[in-house]
Amino acid sequence: MHFLFLVTVLVYLAASIFQALYLTIGERSETQTLRSRIALIAFWGTCVGFALLSLFIILWWSRHGHFPMTHWTDSTAFFAWANTLIYIIVVRLTQLRAIGSFVIPVAFVAILISYSFSGNEATLPENLKTYWLVPHVTLILLAYAAFITAFGFGVLYLMAEKKIRQKAHTLFHNLLPSLGASDELGYRCTILGVILLTLGVIVGALWTQYIQEIAWRWLDAKVFLTVVTWVIYVVQIGIRQLWGWRGRKAAYSEIVGFVAVLCTYIGVNLFLDSAHTFR
Amino acid sequence: MNQIVSIGTSHHVAPVEFREKLAFSDEQLIESLQHLRESHNVHEAVIISTCNRVEVYAVANPHQTVESPIKTLIDFLARFHHIGVETLKKWSYRHHNLGTIQHLFRVTSSLDSMVVGESQILSQVKEAFDISRSAGGAGTVLNRLFPKAFSVGKRIRSETTIASGAVSISYAAVELAKKIFNALEDKTVAIIGAGEMSELTAKHLVANGVSKVIVANRTYERAVKIAEKFKGIPVAYEDDLNFLIDADIVISSTDAPHYLIERQPLAEIMRKRKHRYMFLIDIAVPRDIEPDVSKINHAFLYNIDDLEAVVASNLKERQQEATRAEQIVTEEARRFHDQIQILEVNPTIKALHQQFKEVAETELQACVDKTGLTNTQEAAVASMTQAIVKKLLHHPVTNLRHSVNDGNTDHVQYIHAIQELFALNEIDEKEQE
Repeated sequence: MHFLFLVTVLVYLAASIFQALYLTIGERSETQTLRSRIALIAFWGTCVGFALLSLFIILWWSRHGHFPMTHWTDSTAFFAWANTLIYIIVVRLTQLRAIGSFVIPVAFVAILISYSFSGNEATLPENLKTYWLVPHVTLILLAYAAFITAFGFGVLYLMAEKKIRQKAHTLFHNLLPSLGASDELGYRCTILGVILLTLGVIVGALWTQYIQEIAWRWLDAKVFLTVVTWVIYVVQIGIRQLWGWRGRKAAYSEIVGFVAVLCTYIGVNLFLDSAHTFR
Repeated sequence: MNQIVSIGTSHHVAPVEFREKLAFSDEQLIESLQHLRESHNVHEAVIISTCNRVEVYAVANPHQTVESPIKTLIDFLARFHHIGVETLKKWSYRHHNLGTIQHLFRVTSSLDSMVVGESQILSQVKEAFDISRSAGGAGTVLNRLFPKAFSVGKRIRSETTIASGAVSISYAAVELAKKIFNALEDKTVAIIGAGEMSELTAKHLVANGVSKVIVANRTYERAVKIAEKFKGIPVAYEDDLNFLIDADIVISSTDAPHYLIERQPLAEIMRKRKHRYMFLIDIAVPRDIEPDVSKINHAFLYNIDDLEAVVASNLKERQQEATRAEQIVTEEARRFHDQIQILEVNPTIKALHQQFKEVAETELQACVDKTGLTNTQEAAVASMTQAIVKKLLHHPVTNLRHSVNDGNTDHVQYIHAIQELFALNEIDEKEQE
């Protein structure tokens, strides 16, 4: 199983490199055939990595007997899985491959973190041995993945807009999605993320309130930051609907939201104490 | 031997006054193909006649060596179109074997076209080939050559970028619109003022899916007149530019001496249209749109110089790609040439094998009749004779094949020599009798 994990990490590394190459390899047209090959390798490499990672997660689950999301190892591995899932869905639906250049390296970093922690697996505390944990964590990690995809589209938007304003026309420009597409997809991913996050938080709240009968703890660092993240995204959607805040401003707010997600997901565990901290 | 020749004229070598004299209508094409074949010097022929080129491709009759096939074509064209032979020679190019193949591949790859990378030529040649084929002009060689030329044309368009990137202002505008908008289907274009360029651009945009056209003019009558062409909505404007609220793409080409669209009013309009993207194309000189407009969020302004720069860079890109395409053409032409020549030596090789085999079989039979060999012995002798035939023919056949790949015409002499020495033609003739 450890070997399987190592192979997965390496496949993700290779896929990330090809994903990044796809956008960065020379702008000259000689590279066109090469580039389409790279695009294929990047996409199918990612799919292979995804399959391996799925297998790993299933094996992990059956060996430890609980859902793999309570520790650095399993949580980040699952996060990488969610990330890849959303990437594959987006590419399948839209053919906008450029997004992989941002999303897959993020997944790789996540899986690398997971790998480096894989030695010290803690046992699960009694109060977490419940199926409530499954939807709570799944929904929230999928929401994060959606937000990161939105962030990717935000960056793509800014790059394409810069090219159009500079009136610089190169092959590179042709690889970027149109402004409308980046904007629209970024928005859709944001909405998806907000829905998933809301549901995940509701499940978590119901679980603590009614099942465990623990008082709602506003001061829990992770809960607080999640609410902040949620507010950032909801405000963004609201402003867009009311005053047409799209394009560059939407892209910037997608980036701000991404930072908030990073703080919530990783920052809390590193610097603050919370009931959600991985141990 | 199969000699593929061609004669032609194009915009590169001749003015339109000459090209139009040489042009063929479809009926003339069929008629002239029949004439050509009746001349007995030409075995197969295909004629291509478009507005930029007239070309005749022919395969010479292998049994007819009195007159050069190119001379036959020149005489034929001169007679058919009543042109002097000298004039025809002056304004045309003539190719022979590898040269012909390479030229046809360049034509179908659009490397010989006025605009490198254009797509029309491929279908024009296809059409011409179909006509010639149905008139019985194409035979074994041209039926291989033309389909190969089409696939080379396709290969070059997919492996190089000579066919990508807009090379006219109006197409460049369409391409830019596609970079800005997710889909053009639900978009609206507004044309301000009149002008060929703006109407052409609007036409291309509509062809690419834009569903609504607003035609704005200072006078309502003129707006109505232009709007008829697009089933557009006519608008008369004074200082009120509110019709821009609905416009996603604005093409302006009035002869107004001052800015028509200024930053402040447009910012207000952008607010009213909830900051949806607006792509402004200013093709008027003096300009209609204040350059500062491009500082407004979600407004993208391109003027005539910007679009021309896009076209220029695309053309430059195509030119660079053309060098690469030429390499592919040369490589493919050489390969095809070798294949055709291999085809030429194949019948000789086959005849040679046949002759040796027959001799061996006759002699074997005689031997069996005389000596009364047992079955096992007979089988042993038979396989020995087969082995002798195979080994005797090994070197001549391999060397003959190699002589083709050397790229010179040695093999033609070899074929002649072999046919003479082994009396292969006589056998052929006997068989035919």
